[in-house]
Amino acid sequence: MTDVAITTLPPAPLHAFEIWSDPHGVAGRFAAAFGADLPALGTSVQAGGLTLIRYEPTVWLVEGDASTLAAVLGDDGALTAIGGGLVRVRLSGSGWRELLSYGGQFDAFAPTFAPGSSAATVIDHVGVRLWVENADSCVAYVPASFGAALVHFWHEMAALVRA
Amino acid sequence: MSGPSRAPDGRENIRFTFDGKEYLARPGDTLAAALLANGVGLVARSFKYHRPRGIMAAGVEEPNALVTVGLGGRAEPNTRATDVFVHDGLIARSQNRWPSLSSDAGAVFGLAAKALPAGFYYKTFFGPAKLWLKYEALIRRAAGMGDAPTKADPDSFAQRSAFCDTLVVGSGPAGLQAALTAAEAGDSVILVEQDAALGGSLLVDPDPALGADWIAQTIARLRELGARILLRTTAAGYWDHNFVTLAERLAEPGAVPSHGFAQRLWHVRAGRVVLATGVIERPVPFTANDRPGVMLSRAVRAYVRRFGVVPGQRVVIATNNDDAYLTAQALREVGAEVVAILDARTQADVPAGFPVHFDARPVAAVGTLHHLTGVTALVGGRTVAFKADLLAVSGGFTPVVHLHSQAGGKLDWNEAAQAFVPGAIAQVCTSVGEVIAPLPAPAVVPAGSPKKSFVDFQNDVSLADIDLAWQEGYRSVEHMKRYTTLGMATDQGKLGNLVALQRVAQEQGVTVPQAGLTTFRPPYTPVTMGLLGGPGARNAGAHVRRIALHDRHDALGPTWQPAGYWFRPRAYPQPGETLGAAALREARAVRGAAGLCDVSTLGKFEVSGPDAAALLEIACATRVANLKPGRGRYTVMLREDGLLMDDGTVWRLGDNRYLLTSSTGGADRMAQHLSYIRQVLRPQMRVSVVNVQEHYAGLALAGPRSSGIIAALTGASAPAHMGVVAAVIAGVPVWVLAASYSGERAFEIHGEATAMGPVWDALLAAVKAAGGSTYGLDAMDLLRIEKGHVVIGAEADGRRGPYDLGLHKMLNPAGGFVGAAGLTRPALTAAGRHRLVGVEAIDGAPIAEGAMLVAREGAKVEGHVTAAGRHVLGEGGIALALLADGPDRLGAEFLATSPTRGMHTRVRVVSPHFYDPAGERYRD
Amino acid sequence: MYQIDCPHCGPRAQSEFTFDRPVEAIVPPDAAAADALQALYTRTNPMGVDDEVWRHTYGCRAWLVLTRDRVSHAIDAVRALGPEALS
Repeated sequence: MTDVAITTLPPAPLHAFEIWSDPHGVAGRFAAAFGADLPALGTSVQAGGLTLIRYEPTVWLVEGDASTLAAVLGDDGALTAIGGGLVRVRLSGSGWRELLSYGGQFDAFAPTFAPGSSAATVIDHVGVRLWVENADSCVAYVPASFGAALVHFWHEMAALVRA
Repeated sequence: MSGPSRAPDGRENIRFTFDGKEYLARPGDTLAAALLANGVGLVARSFKYHRPRGIMAAGVEEPNALVTVGLGGRAEPNTRATDVFVHDGLIARSQNRWPSLSSDAGAVFGLAAKALPAGFYYKTFFGPAKLWLKYEALIRRAAGMGDAPTKADPDSFAQRSAFCDTLVVGSGPAGLQAALTAAEAGDSVILVEQDAALGGSLLVDPDPALGADWIAQTIARLRELGARILLRTTAAGYWDHNFVTLAERLAEPGAVPSHGFAQRLWHVRAGRVVLATGVIERPVPFTANDRPGVMLSRAVRAYVRRFGVVPGQRVVIATNNDDAYLTAQALREVGAEVVAILDARTQADVPAGFPVHFDARPVAAVGTLHHLTGVTALVGGRTVAFKADLLAVSGGFTPVVHLHSQAGGKLDWNEAAQAFVPGAIAQVCTSVGEVIAPLPAPAVVPAGSPKKSFVDFQNDVSLADIDLAWQEGYRSVEHMKRYTTLGMATDQGKLGNLVALQRVAQEQGVTVPQAGLTTFRPPYTPVTMGLLGGPGARNAGAHVRRIALHDRHDALGPTWQPAGYWFRPRAYPQPGETLGAAALREARAVRGAAGLCDVSTLGKFEVSGPDAAALLEIACATRVANLKPGRGRYTVMLREDGLLMDDGTVWRLGDNRYLLTSSTGGADRMAQHLSYIRQVLRPQMRVSVVNVQEHYAGLALAGPRSSGIIAALTGASAPAHMGVVAAVIAGVPVWVLAASYSGERAFEIHGEATAMGPVWDALLAAVKAAGGSTYGLDAMDLLRIEKGHVVIGAEADGRRGPYDLGLHKMLNPAGGFVGAAGLTRPALTAAGRHRLVGVEAIDGAPIAEGAMLVAREGAKVEGHVTAAGRHVLGEGGIALALLADGPDRLGAEFLATSPTRGMHTRVRVVSPHFYDPAGERYRD
Repeated sequence: MYQIDCPHCGPRAQSEFTFDRPVEAIVPPDAAAADALQALYTRTNPMGVDDEVWRHTYGCRAWLVLTRDRVSHAIDAVRALGPEALS
């Protein structure tokens, strides 16, 4: 039995963490402060109460209290709050990868799209960012204005996934 | 007994109706098989001549038996009876006949066929265009397909993607074997079959070498290896980079789908594609070769072997190849009499025991409305007549090269088979099975009347039409196609195109490949519009973007206005109030007291870093670097050609931190533009540009009472015009920007969207207490027109530069911004350009938006009205307009005429600043 | 629907990308006006292979250069364009 659940999560503090110079210096300061490497593109790391997910060559999405990151960045980048504009939707259950096959062209079954991975793509005309939380769950960061519409779409398609 | 029949075996338990009459079918029957089993020979009327037509094929290539299946919004017109599997309660109706199939008034067109040759449109209907419109209506009624349903489709359509190593199209023996080989080699495999059963030709011609259980065993093994097998699924299009679209029926046409989804569109990206698409049998041209009772030889065999239907008791077979002898054997097995086999070849090694005539070709089929009664033939030059109720024909085999060809593959000519076969292809794709090895079948010169020898059955194109096109000078096969409409029906000429090409080649005295071939285009078989629209079709294909405070607005009962994808309040009418009255009341509230409006959809970008100002001075055509912290200014952004792209405001929030706003409609374009500047033009800059359009919800507070409200709610004096401060309202941190669009003292309050509810509540309460109102887009428009503020998309319509809109004086004199080079083009400041002015109705009448400005009726157009409004506090129509050399013509009078709206107003050219031109109301 | 091998994200469908311009039409904002207009309005537009600026707009948002054959639609190479913080 394939099942899938769609859950809208409460608002969370989210920031764009962008580096414009000395990336290795920033990476070194991050490692020193958090005991972890800054994640590569398409991956994420959880450290010090933060989740950092890299979707762009120079930008990480940070979930959690980002205040400690200002020192890590120094003059080599900026933190910008973006949490008001994104809705987090958790897709969980054995059918979440199949659900993501609807309305898009993204290969959610690719072996590289493993727990901890991230990807940005388009689902039913909406640009979304995906983060594989664990084997049974994926979180989608959806532009807030499209949140209700996309959740409605996912509920409709879930009927086919369960069929 | 004559005609098609089937002896009942007790499994006839499915009820369906055709043209209101109830019949019984067996599980697994196609509608075509079920109709034949019930003795129904007449199924349709042809498109142009309304000729009686029956069932000719057993597959999706069927040209004649088009029916409408289902009722109401679920009705599907023009569906092939051979491509519908009967389900209990199925309702099918014939098409293009009145009052009924048996007595069709339109059959008169067949009697008048002489007057309706190819191209008759172009020849007959010379004369005034007005008459054309009448003719067209008449023709459309007479020449018809099924009626499109008028009700909404109650079912949904889904679209999904899939990825695989190997995609196999077709589940005949070659396709099944290819799928099995790939799966055993470890490939992920998708196998697609348009039929409801796997096996393809094996369903009709079992292969003793493979054994009876081979199909079942192969399917079981494929499933074990994890292959995905899709039945009732058509590979409709083969696109770039091995991208194939599949149309899957989740429910038969007209049936109620179990999960609400009628069909599913698959977007498949395959590492490799194997095409095992087989062949389609060609018809044979002779007089009345379209009658009910003339059927393709393999189709006859399919009805006999797969469906237990005997399509006729006394059968003549016309062939030019060996395959038809298998049909003779199949007919004999079920007790039908093979009266004669007309073999066009002069000799061949054929099975014994049949009445074979070599050098024999059919001349004509004769019969009644419903059934065939006989066949005349030329046998060795002699005319011979046969009594028969079925004529099985085989003119050879056309490989189904559609997908190969769509994928960009070349075609090779197989002379022995008289067929195009798959040739070289650049995509990772191979063709296997019968499609690459069609049986030999020599060209045969047709006997019979060319006029009644049909090659495109669905569009009623005969050999005579091909001849006519040639006589009239249509040399290219593409021209011939368009003149005769050959191959342009819903079956895209699957059956007879090659027969027509042979005719063209014969007339030109060239070979078929020299004559040429028309292009194969997707879809392979018709695809319903709903499937392409997908689940969003009900919303015109797009989601609605909701503003953060949607529910709070909705509680006030606004009229919602789609603005791009967004829905924004247009006005908040009170009970009994018209939209226009509401907008005026709201605008007057702003002018007189205070108004509150949602501007959350504005484009917004935070630009941070040491190079923030330098980056903004590339994007914006105005000075930015000299802006002091806590200050902002109006700005415009240009395209590289120097024309206006967008406008907005830029605010210095901190030393190295700016907020740039831009128009709602241009927000996505601006995001792309800023990214291009930052990443492509200036990758070395120390700057971060973040799109915060949705992070911040924005509220505009405007009116003479607004600064008092801000002061009361923030506990500090309001910032001066074009100042910005960080403040807290209702416990929520916000930016307060003193910007005015309305012309009054005004503020934009931006805060984190998820937290802005309490801010709205506090502002709304204060506005109401001040005697003010919420206001929507219509009031905003009235206010900005009166103030002379331009809008991207209205005044800045993609053809205007800064000079045209009076913005050239604010340009950065240092240059260096995008568009600076484009601005040097002399045409952008040449005389005669349409430039911004105001116009005022001389007699106070309303002015039509879009009205043309002319000196008098019939005179040349010198400009047009871009946005029309009225004086908010006073009376009378005012508007913004673009007028040739406008600013030089203040005081001139024009007629603002809108024939489409029936409005013609005398206007006078004035300054666009109708209200407070000195800007005194911005200040407290 | 092309498949474009984004150097950051791997193979993705064309629907995530937007075409911007041929590489030859990149105009520096400080270019002389005559040069800028030449680049904007005079293109070689070769029939065959050309370098084109695309953006992975609905993916990693990075800018790319595609070496694309406009006849066969084959994409011979994709390279990143723009700043990159870390590899």
